[in-house]
Amino acid sequence: MYKKLKWIRVILALLFFLLITLNFVWFANSKASLLSPVLHLQFVPALLGLFTGTAVFFAFLLVITIFFGRVYCSLLCPLGVYQDIVSRIADLFKSKKQRREKYRKPQNFLRYFFALVAFLPLAAGVTLPLALTDPYSNWGRISSEIISLGENLIHNLFAGIFPESVFYRGYAPFIIEIFIFSAFILILVTIMSAFRRRLYCNTVCPAGTLLGAISRFSLFRPEMGSECNMCAACSTVCKSNCIDLKNRKIDVSRCVSCLNCMTMCKRGSVTYRFAYRRKEKKSGMESAGRVPSGMDNFSDDRRRALLTMGLAGTALVARAAEFRPFKSEKEKEVEKKHSIAPPGAQSIQHLKDNCTACHACISVCPNRIIKPAVGEYGLDGLFLPHLDYRNHFCGYDCNACTQICPNHALIPMSPEEKKLCQIGRAKFSLRNCIVFTDKTDCGACDEHCPTKAITMIPYKGTNLYIPKLDRDICIGCGACEYICPARPVKAMIVEANQVHLTAEAPLKEEQEKVKVDDFGF
Amino acid sequence: MFMERRNFLKGLIYGGVASIASFKSSTLFSKEPAAVASGGNNDLVAVMGGEPAQMYAKAIEAMGGISRFVKRGQKIVVKPNIGWDKSPEEGANTNPELVAAIVKDCLRAGAAEVVVFDHSCDHWQSCYKNSGIEDAAKAAGARIAFAHDEKYYKSVKIPKGKRLKEAKIHSEILDCDAWINVPVLKTHGGARMTISMKNFMGIVWDRRFLHANDLQQCIADCSTISKMPVLNIVDAYRIMTQNGPKGKSPDDVQLAKALFISTDIVAADTAAVKFFSQFRPMDINSVSHIGIAEKMNIGTTDLDSLSVKRIKI
Repeated sequence: MYKKLKWIRVILALLFFLLITLNFVWFANSKASLLSPVLHLQFVPALLGLFTGTAVFFAFLLVITIFFGRVYCSLLCPLGVYQDIVSRIADLFKSKKQRREKYRKPQNFLRYFFALVAFLPLAAGVTLPLALTDPYSNWGRISSEIISLGENLIHNLFAGIFPESVFYRGYAPFIIEIFIFSAFILILVTIMSAFRRRLYCNTVCPAGTLLGAISRFSLFRPEMGSECNMCAACSTVCKSNCIDLKNRKIDVSRCVSCLNCMTMCKRGSVTYRFAYRRKEKKSGMESAGRVPSGMDNFSDDRRRALLTMGLAGTALVARAAEFRPFKSEKEKEVEKKHSIAPPGAQSIQHLKDNCTACHACISVCPNRIIKPAVGEYGLDGLFLPHLDYRNHFCGYDCNACTQICPNHALIPMSPEEKKLCQIGRAKFSLRNCIVFTDKTDCGACDEHCPTKAITMIPYKGTNLYIPKLDRDICIGCGACEYICPARPVKAMIVEANQVHLTAEAPLKEEQEKVKVDDFGF
Repeated sequence: MFMERRNFLKGLIYGGVASIASFKSSTLFSKEPAAVASGGNNDLVAVMGGEPAQMYAKAIEAMGGISRFVKRGQKIVVKPNIGWDKSPEEGANTNPELVAAIVKDCLRAGAAEVVVFDHSCDHWQSCYKNSGIEDAAKAAGARIAFAHDEKYYKSVKIPKGKRLKEAKIHSEILDCDAWINVPVLKTHGGARMTISMKNFMGIVWDRRFLHANDLQQCIADCSTISKMPVLNIVDAYRIMTQNGPKGKSPDDVQLAKALFISTDIVAADTAAVKFFSQFRPMDINSVSHIGIAEKMNIGTTDLDSLSVKRIKI
């Protein structure tokens, strides 16, 4: 039975891995609406989205963990599945002996250190450390930065061979900081998994540590039964090195529910068992909270697990109560014009609270104007998405980024809602405008403005027309800023709205329909 | 991408066949006289009251037939306005039915290949698709060319230009045998009107340069390039009379049901402005690139000096 189950797990895991990765790769992006639902089932985004509308996904992940332990890690986590793939490949280069695993002690110091690093700031209202250690978001950044770059290269190779049928695709703006960070995580995870399989998941990953803590109390756990003859087959295939043969214990906090041990055991000794039945019968009413003697080691673990969960729980309560002792006072100092949050972000604070910087929005943007922030939002907004109008502007009819976000850090918006979402407002500086400086016609901004917040009016004393800006209608799409030819400083520059607003609807301008019977010449 | 590869292969086969055909025609049938349609060789034809394809058919006939401009075996570019991510009803782009009719006519006249492209302002794929032009042109047998990246453009000197002395022009224009300019009639906040001459902005890579260096002069300068269109066909089926050139709703558009066709780009624009003035007053002098172009001997605004045919359907 476990063999079948394992095959199902492997196939599903590969499927999820593929679908998740495709969300970040350009050629599949036009199908984002079909692919993006798989992104909802990610632990850290769902955890953060608890109060923004993705609670149901968090509840689902919590329930499967309470039932069967860290199923997420082996089935849904793309970074986890990637490690399985790497260790499979690495196995090809290993001798039979090298492939054999054995029990290893947990790296508890590192585990709880990283968990603390991720969840303690969260409890204080700072999401960034968790975002940067979230396995899904790391995979997102790796896909967005490295895999899609490879795909882009291949695409352009085809564009070179078939210039008339495959178009050339410019490369996304290269931002060294995020590239180095993603490459570092990729190399770290690759090396760790090539040598020690799921070590990363059980030392670095805070999601793994939290899920492991919850798993300690799960209803069904892999356990060794009395049929065991100590052949050690299970422990040689354990990715997490968590089967302690001597004590006949499986460390469920590290077990990623890969089912390897159960498929290996010829005697059917290692199986999922209901964890509370026997204990309750034996120790009766005393069972709750009581620790059996000779298990001090495990009681220690139990305490740590409770602490981790307590910490994560506190973090969630703190979020619910909007407890934010370190709310940055420097917000006003952040340079305004470059910190425009994508539509749906509601406010820069909402983005900082909920975004895990997975870069799905960055990948899906057809105009490639969403970029990872490096300093634009300040330090606590590192790698969060922001809009940059240097190479294009926000498409008026496009709402792709709001649709793909896994946890409503960008809340979903219909095209109609998005057309009124004021993410910033253009500012017109006459002294830079071509019409003013050169006394010649231009009108590039007016030409591009989708809402007609910009109109051209007669310019005093000349036969020229000059832009007039109605900032209440402006939605901050950046079309005017992008196209403005004035140098060195553009005449139209969009200033970010720290809190997104709803713009006034474009004026309705019905005109009398003229009936004409002649050519006029 | 893979769909497009299939189209590529299709194109390869068709192209091969066509080039063999053209080879034959140039060697075996070289004495074949140029076909002259019965309609005569007018300089400017104005049509009104019909559907786009129907008006085109009438107009081109009165111009002496497409074979006066398109020769067997030639590579032709049809250059509409596909600037905006807007539907045909919003009138921001050239009418797709008109583009399709021109493409078909060129192929009927024996063109080896007809290419359609524009340097869009909005996201180019959305523009190509939502304008309806990509589908219509492909169905008519044209190839859609890309124009969204600088690598598709080549730098060209414009010796007669006053401000615009050099520009990157799309290589399909530079490599073709003849091209047909198919603008749509709209207002424009900067240039006042956008018609045939302004449509050249879509064959140029760096449009900002034009905006920054006396837009009206640069538009006229652009029409001094050696590779001028053999025909200018102004789509005035739906005309944008306010908030041009992008518009914000179908309210900005009036159904004018007209078409102008001319070998003289200045005359085509003059006729179009005069027609437009009936819907909304527009002083042709304020569309100053037209006047500048006339001074630069690109064409004439004096329609009476031309043989003009007016057709009402």
